[in-house]
Amino acid sequence: MSDDRRAFLRGLVRSAAGQAGAPQEAQPAAAGLSDADVERYARQLVLPEWSEAAQLALREATVLVVGAGALGSPVAAYLAGAGVGRLGIVDADDVEVSNLHRQTLHFTPDLGVPKAQSAAAKLRFLNPEIVVEPYQARFAPAMVEDADLVVDCSDSFATRYEVNAACCAARVALVEGGVTGLAGLVMAIRPGDTACYRCAFPEPPPPGAAPSCAEGGVLGPAAGVIGSLQGLEAIRLLAGLDGALLDAFLHVDLHDHAFLRVAVTRRPGCRDCGAI
Amino acid sequence: MAAHHLDVTDVTCPLTWVRTKLALERLAPGQQLDVRCREGEALENVPRSAAEAGHDVAVEGTLVRIVRR
Repeated sequence: MSDDRRAFLRGLVRSAAGQAGAPQEAQPAAAGLSDADVERYARQLVLPEWSEAAQLALREATVLVVGAGALGSPVAAYLAGAGVGRLGIVDADDVEVSNLHRQTLHFTPDLGVPKAQSAAAKLRFLNPEIVVEPYQARFAPAMVEDADLVVDCSDSFATRYEVNAACCAARVALVEGGVTGLAGLVMAIRPGDTACYRCAFPEPPPPGAAPSCAEGGVLGPAAGVIGSLQGLEAIRLLAGLDGALLDAFLHVDLHDHAFLRVAVTRRPGCRDCGAI
Repeated sequence: MAAHHLDVTDVTCPLTWVRTKLALERLAPGQQLDVRCREGEALENVPRSAAEAGHDVAVEGTLVRIVRR
């Protein structure tokens, strides 16, 4: 861990301790897990699938979450809770009252606050041991370059294809997701090795064919299911667990609780990943 | 081969098994970890979890002897 990051962590811990009114000492950085780490992550460390190596892989990881809304809220909360060392949160919008039924990182007192800032504040309270970096901006391809993994929680097809193209160009692992109404989709991608989002869906739906989140409705828990699945896939890829949704997407229809795993393959000549 | 030692009498579930599991991860197959447990929950759960994970387990009083698989 660099001195800058250590100093940043100490600052985070001090500020969280000050706000919580409880004295806290920053843990010195250690090669392995500290006692505090073992206690914080005990319920995942106890899993047969998990290990100290998996936990350290999360701590060393930098993840970019694109969108701090209905999908980004559970994704970021679970990744912060699980101990991902550095989380970037990208969102250009402010919190609106119509967001609150599904965007669980934002509360009524946050109305008007930039979503990236609102989310980062909650995530730092959730886990002061990690670094959270809010970006109050629209997604830009350069943002993925420092990331080990990107989770796309955007709410438009235009951004989704933009994120896919950027991750393919930089060969950064990606977890895609989308939700509308009571249905959604999740897909894990290792660009260059497995099918990308454009391999599965070569063209976005024609304008007007697909409602955006703003135009269409969505039930909060349905977004929570999809976001939770995205968070799980992200953790799976970071820790190297078996069974990732690679070369496949999962379609989830909560009208009738149907989970359908659809195999996809790389498409020769794919505009986004064909040349890598 | 000398056994490694761990005392989990100062913690409660799930940390009793978590600390044991992490200590086992650091050992090579065939190495032995002797875990001092409190009677009750720890002495019931640590041997059971170790056996479920495929290790060889023997209990002597409050000492759980685990050979890493």
